[in-house]
Amino acid sequence: MRFVRRYLLPRFIQYVLVIFLGITAVFFIPRFTPSDPVQRTIAELQSHGSYLDPGSIDEMVEDLREMYGLEGSMLEQYGAFWKRVFTGDFGVSFFQFPTPVMDLIRTSLPWTAGLLLWATLLSWIVGNLLGGLAGYYARSRWSRALDTVAMVVRPMPYYIFALSLLILFAYVVRLFPIAGGTDIGRRAAFNWKFIVDVLRHAFLPALSMIVLGVATTFQTMKLIVQNVNAEDFVQYAKLGGVKERRIVSRYVIRNAMLPQITNLALALGQILSGALITEIVFSYPGLGTLLFNAIVTGDYNLIMGITALSILAITSAILLIDLVYPLFDPRVRLM
Amino acid sequence: MWRKHWCLALAVAVALVLPLVGVAQLADLPRSETLIMSILTGRVGTPGNFNEWVGWKWRDRGMQNLANEPLWSIDFATGEIINGLAAGDPVYDSNFFHVEIPLREGVTWSDGTPFTADDVVFTVELLMDTPGFNNHAFFAENVELVYRIDDYRVGFDLKLANSRFHTTFLDRWGCTWIMPKHIFEDVEDPITFEFDPFIGCGPYKLHSYDPAGYWTVWEKRDDWANSPTGILYGEPKPTYIVLQAFANEGAKIIAQLTHQLDGVDLSAEGLKAALAQGDTVRAYQLSFPWVVNNDPAITGFIFNTAKAPYDNPDVRWALTLAIDIVEYAGQAVDGMGTLSPVHIPSLGSYPANFIKPMEDWLEAFTLDLGNGETFQPYDPDAPAGVVAYARSRGYIVSDDPEAQEQAFGLGWFKYAPEAAAKLLEKNRFSQDAEGNWLLPDGTPWRIEVVSRSDTSHLEFKNASAAVQQWKQFGIDAVHVPTDAAATLTQNGDFDIAGNWPAQEPWGAGPDLYRTLNAWNSTYVRPIGELTNGNHSRWSSPEMDEVLADLRATDPADTAATIALGIEGLKIAFTEMPGTPTFGYIGFVTWDEYYWANWPGAENSYIGPYAHWGTFKYMTPFLEPTGN
Amino acid sequence: MRVLRDLFKDYRFAFSFTILCLLLILALLSAFSPYDPTFWWHATRDLRPSWTHFLGTNSKGQDVFWQATYAVRNSLIISVIAGTVSRVIAILVGMIAGYRGRLTDRVLMFVSDSFLVMPLFLIIVLLAMLVREHMNLVNLGLLLAFFGWAWDARVIRSQILSLREREFTQTAILSGTKTMRLVMKEYLPFATPLIFSTLINNMAWAIGMEITLAILGLSNMDIPTLGTMLQWAISYQALLLGWWWWLLTPIVLAIFLFVALYWLSVSISEYLDPRTRIQRVGAR
Repeated sequence: MRFVRRYLLPRFIQYVLVIFLGITAVFFIPRFTPSDPVQRTIAELQSHGSYLDPGSIDEMVEDLREMYGLEGSMLEQYGAFWKRVFTGDFGVSFFQFPTPVMDLIRTSLPWTAGLLLWATLLSWIVGNLLGGLAGYYARSRWSRALDTVAMVVRPMPYYIFALSLLILFAYVVRLFPIAGGTDIGRRAAFNWKFIVDVLRHAFLPALSMIVLGVATTFQTMKLIVQNVNAEDFVQYAKLGGVKERRIVSRYVIRNAMLPQITNLALALGQILSGALITEIVFSYPGLGTLLFNAIVTGDYNLIMGITALSILAITSAILLIDLVYPLFDPRVRLM
Repeated sequence: MWRKHWCLALAVAVALVLPLVGVAQLADLPRSETLIMSILTGRVGTPGNFNEWVGWKWRDRGMQNLANEPLWSIDFATGEIINGLAAGDPVYDSNFFHVEIPLREGVTWSDGTPFTADDVVFTVELLMDTPGFNNHAFFAENVELVYRIDDYRVGFDLKLANSRFHTTFLDRWGCTWIMPKHIFEDVEDPITFEFDPFIGCGPYKLHSYDPAGYWTVWEKRDDWANSPTGILYGEPKPTYIVLQAFANEGAKIIAQLTHQLDGVDLSAEGLKAALAQGDTVRAYQLSFPWVVNNDPAITGFIFNTAKAPYDNPDVRWALTLAIDIVEYAGQAVDGMGTLSPVHIPSLGSYPANFIKPMEDWLEAFTLDLGNGETFQPYDPDAPAGVVAYARSRGYIVSDDPEAQEQAFGLGWFKYAPEAAAKLLEKNRFSQDAEGNWLLPDGTPWRIEVVSRSDTSHLEFKNASAAVQQWKQFGIDAVHVPTDAAATLTQNGDFDIAGNWPAQEPWGAGPDLYRTLNAWNSTYVRPIGELTNGNHSRWSSPEMDEVLADLRATDPADTAATIALGIEGLKIAFTEMPGTPTFGYIGFVTWDEYYWANWPGAENSYIGPYAHWGTFKYMTPFLEPTGN
Repeated sequence: MRVLRDLFKDYRFAFSFTILCLLLILALLSAFSPYDPTFWWHATRDLRPSWTHFLGTNSKGQDVFWQATYAVRNSLIISVIAGTVSRVIAILVGMIAGYRGRLTDRVLMFVSDSFLVMPLFLIIVLLAMLVREHMNLVNLGLLLAFFGWAWDARVIRSQILSLREREFTQTAILSGTKTMRLVMKEYLPFATPLIFSTLINNMAWAIGMEITLAILGLSNMDIPTLGTMLQWAISYQALLLGWWWWLLTPIVLAIFLFVALYWLSVSISEYLDPRTRIQRVGAR
């Protein structure tokens, strides 16, 4: 009970408050930018030389404002927004009128979640594995070689790396497709062909993310393991003749894992923010481009929908870490 | 110990990846019968919603260019108006309050239902009665009554005399489409109705689409002979047509180089890259300047004539004269554009109908520089300068004067910084010790030129080239590319913008009403409000008079229409609310590996763009190569 | 100086220090550039590297080498501003939260968490759109600083928390040391390695963020930075047209900058941590 009161409750309150604050900020900030969604729609309709009779534009603006729910003061809109949100209704997208925001998110989410989930998990596992071993055998040649490689790969601007992968494996050596999430004309179904198709298209984007992810995780883990390795209790175990395998797994890695688990949880929480540059380079469907287009066209509802989910995911991840951490780290339990 | 594990891991990884290898992108569609083109407007945001009458639905994903047939279409390549669902020209009565439109017989919708005047009547009535449709306001304001005269004739009684009423059905990258009555009449809420699958009178019908919006596949109708395309031109050759979106230009180019994309719109640099690396890739023109230069739009920049000092025509002219057009064209588009001194592009029938007849007037046009000095700005040799520039870059340009005129225009303005300086000084501008220009109140003159942020867009190119020229002239000019450009210019929150200096003309026919009407004074709004006409917010009583005269002139009366058009152009030229530089150029490349007989400059049977409505008329002429 | 000599024994420090010095020289060279960086067309386009143009010219008619000097200078300015301002905020917040505890701590950590959680990218993009033409180097640096302090504040705070429990704190308080003096004189040295390594990481993050913003077309394209140089090269299809000198210059410079910063931070923090210093430098 004391635990709940001193540990859980404050964190829970903070959780709710942070979500509230975040969503409020994301509500108001787009409305202050110069991009007006109504004018944006009209501009899009007029672009490419298409003709909107100037005499009828006034009334069109009125109609659009009403359909978009942009009438009334900002506070009125704010109130109406909260009423809708509790039913899970984020309204309709302005630019993709009249598609509801949740529909748009539902279509793009599986792609983003699928790609990023696998990329994050794989790079975390592989990176930690390599990093752990490299940290333990820090003096060995291959460990230092890997470190140098990671050192050079890590600061590479992601865009260039991804574009180079695309050109290398889709043009120079034609192994993988250039764009899209699936083949053209492929209808979604749960059969083998579809799955292979999706994997084929996801390979290069995932590879680009995994390579950089592994490089980062590798270095972090190596550093941590090196520090843990230098700790007294590990030295003592070595001198005491404990089997190497046991030292590595139960003494070193278990202690090194704690901060890495925190990082994993945070990374997983970030999935819903999408991977914008990946989607741009590989023409991959996902939340990143959806969000970016929404920002640029001033599509308030869509911005709010995606961002709210993203905030929810990240705060939940942090809350989860806070709740679960005491289980892993006994030192926190004593606090 | 570890080594064995590594080898095993590697082997497993390779075994997992191997089945994934393979480049082909078409699932179950025969490549030799499929045409793949790129969508201009990018990824489709509403893939399952084909309701074109509300909002923006990415109509160039195959809707306007394959499956829908409008009443009439503009073809700017041949300068003709093609009859689609209409059987001929509209017939107005003498005071333009009533018009009759004849419709084509023998046309069926792609689900087999015959097309009749009932569809047209239904469409107009629905649009008139229901707020929320894009064209609701237009029809509600203009149409008193719409009715069928018989199965293939429809009549309109108008509320306002409007000799150009029918142009709302004239497709020039968008117009009012006809709804299939048999589908829409049973729909509860036509605003949110998704209209999936799209049913139209064009030769193609919907096959499938990507729920993520990256591709749409269209299939040739079995009864293609019942579509106007089939009736006019014969059987379309591709069985399937794919409209595909890519999120970045590099991917587009690579797709074309690997023969997975037959036609694509690129940027200037992308075009160079594609031509350099592809052996079966060709551009619209087979040699320099390669570009599609008959796109009916004139680019340049506009001044905010509601804001000082750009409300002064002398200042506007000075800024125009401070530009060295040869450098400008070289910087913006490597010399590939067709110059035009007036507010319409120099293409098709426009040079013959408008620019050449104006040449004497243009050469005689004089600016008053103050102190009794005058200056004649027109320079018929400007295009020759561009030719010299192109040759200095290593491009091959023909000596044929006609070819040069066609490619580079008839003339522009002289590069006259001294005359510009005098014009400015006449209006109490001055220069400081370092040559920087100061406003009449003594403060340094700073110009912010706004444009959209897409670096390949001609707005951007014009804006940055102009900024460079003015910097050299001594003005603190800065280019501000921003995604909010549309909003800023509509609200009047800018100095100079890279927008087109004039509304785009039809591209066919002698009528310039579309362009001139953008300067109608009734559309101008004060700064801070959304303005409806041209964003330069310029108007003049003389232009209003010309517009009134035009409205009372039958568009079929060619001589009168052209004369009024010339008058309008002269007024715009004198006032220079925006400076025209060169015509819009499109960078289109075609891959001839699977399909040939594209409508290039040497074989221009129809407009070259895949995103225009006229693309469906191209399909019967493309030839499969047999690969 | 002995410190410096010891540091140089670490090959990573030697390498990164040299690289950073070279980059700094490059940045300072920009003051001697014969060309104004915002002007285009002062040289023939697309020339390969030669004696007149060391790194060739780009498609906008600018000399790549002199553009690069400005690019390095500007990127360094942005990252230094972002890094130092965010350090100051992070230190203030972290130290006060860590030392005061209770309500102050809760409130400050709440604010910091809110910043962590905020969809950073979205807000930067929106603000970039809002600010448009006023987006110069300093403003971009400040904008990035505004978002870069949250994580590090928390890290500093936990360091302070552990220090607070140590004996010397009690001793200091009992002997009447004022809070400010305690924090500044006693805690700061402990926190310095942390602060320094987070500074370097933050600088690297700022440069990366700047490159991303440039690629998305959100920063002022007229000001040459590593990001805008890269973006211009990409949009002019330098890769497919084979103008490697224009494309590789910002990439190689960015890589060197990042590697140098990273190695610098690793070697300095290893040096400052007594246990690892002995491993590195040898017992004395």
